[in-house]
Amino acid sequence: MEPLRELAKEKLRGKKVIAVMSAKGGVGKSVISALISLSLPSSATLIDLDIHTMGIAKLFGIENVSFEVSKEGIEPAKIKNVNLISLAGVVRDRYVILPGRNQYNVMKELIAYSNIKTDYVVFDLPPGLGDEILVLEELTDYKPIIITTPSKVSIKVVKYLIDYLYEKNKKPIMVVNMSYFTCGSEKVKPFGSYEGDVNLPIDPNIEEFIGKIQNYEGEVKKVIEKELIPLL
Amino acid sequence: MHEWSIAYSVVKTLTDNFDKKVLKVTLVLPQFSFLDLEILKEAFDELKKENKVTQDAELKIKIAEPIFKCRNCGKEFKLSDVEKQLNEVRSQYGEEYPLHLMPELFPAFLKCPYCGSHDIEAKGQEIYIESVEVEESGAVTRTS
Ligand SMILES: [Zn+2]
Repeated sequence: MEPLRELAKEKLRGKKVIAVMSAKGGVGKSVISALISLSLPSSATLIDLDIHTMGIAKLFGIENVSFEVSKEGIEPAKIKNVNLISLAGVVRDRYVILPGRNQYNVMKELIAYSNIKTDYVVFDLPPGLGDEILVLEELTDYKPIIITTPSKVSIKVVKYLIDYLYEKNKKPIMVVNMSYFTCGSEKVKPFGSYEGDVNLPIDPNIEEFIGKIQNYEGEVKKVIEKELIPLL
Repeated sequence: MHEWSIAYSVVKTLTDNFDKKVLKVTLVLPQFSFLDLEILKEAFDELKKENKVTQDAELKIKIAEPIFKCRNCGKEFKLSDVEKQLNEVRSQYGEEYPLHLMPELFPAFLKCPYCGSHDIEAKGQEIYIESVEVEESGAVTRTS
């Protein structure tokens, strides 16, 4: 018997679980996970399963914080409506190198030993098709959101992920990041054209909000609030 | 405080998997997690009251000393061989140090004393329930 697995399942039971995925890195997945969490109608737990880069902690500017531990587990960092869980709160600013089997178990431990109390749980997954997807599948039924850019390479790689999810009878929501910017009344598409369920605009200002993403109220967040949140 | 999560996971596993009264449960813990066994037992005794399956259960704890194996040089070593490394981690982070909270992080914090590689595996590093004794109409059954 595996008490850890039972505990992790229990933590996610009855919750609305959203998994933000991408087959490719560098498509803006962490920023979008953060903005989705900040846009949800009630409080959300945002769990960074990218245990090597821990990008979510950096986005919110809490990379050197040690999380408190209570009777109910590791206490998330609370920022606005978001309860943030990251391995960064356990190891602080230190490299994490792990063999495959340990990666899988660390992800499970992170879920099992954290205090998750919100109705929504958003997972930011590392790029690729690996342990993180298997862990989530074993623990819960999740709604996949796939992030891509309009570039041909990204779309090709994302296709594998879509094929896999369809095999599992899961219909993902496709989000195309950096798909256009508005110039006067015209939509300009510098990276090619690809229609997703939601197409997000390019906002060069977003860079300024790395470390304080909770304060960003620009165009990308507005489209997420208006077009993506109702699909969940 | 982390001990409460583990006690809760044991009670939860027992109530999910048994409908007869549990009399004894043996839990195996990795040594390098340095869990406070008194707190763990206290937490278990508090949480077990909540239902019939576990209310009379006695918690037995076994501490497993892990045997590490380096996948780079192939050598085996024990916790005592990397004690200095472990103490450094504990003094750096304090009470709720990473291997206490999440034992599976051990390859990120410990390295092979022979070649320095972090590609190490361990036998006996997981937390698991080794055996459960349940009451069976007067008799006692042991489940491993
Ligand atoms: Zn070695």
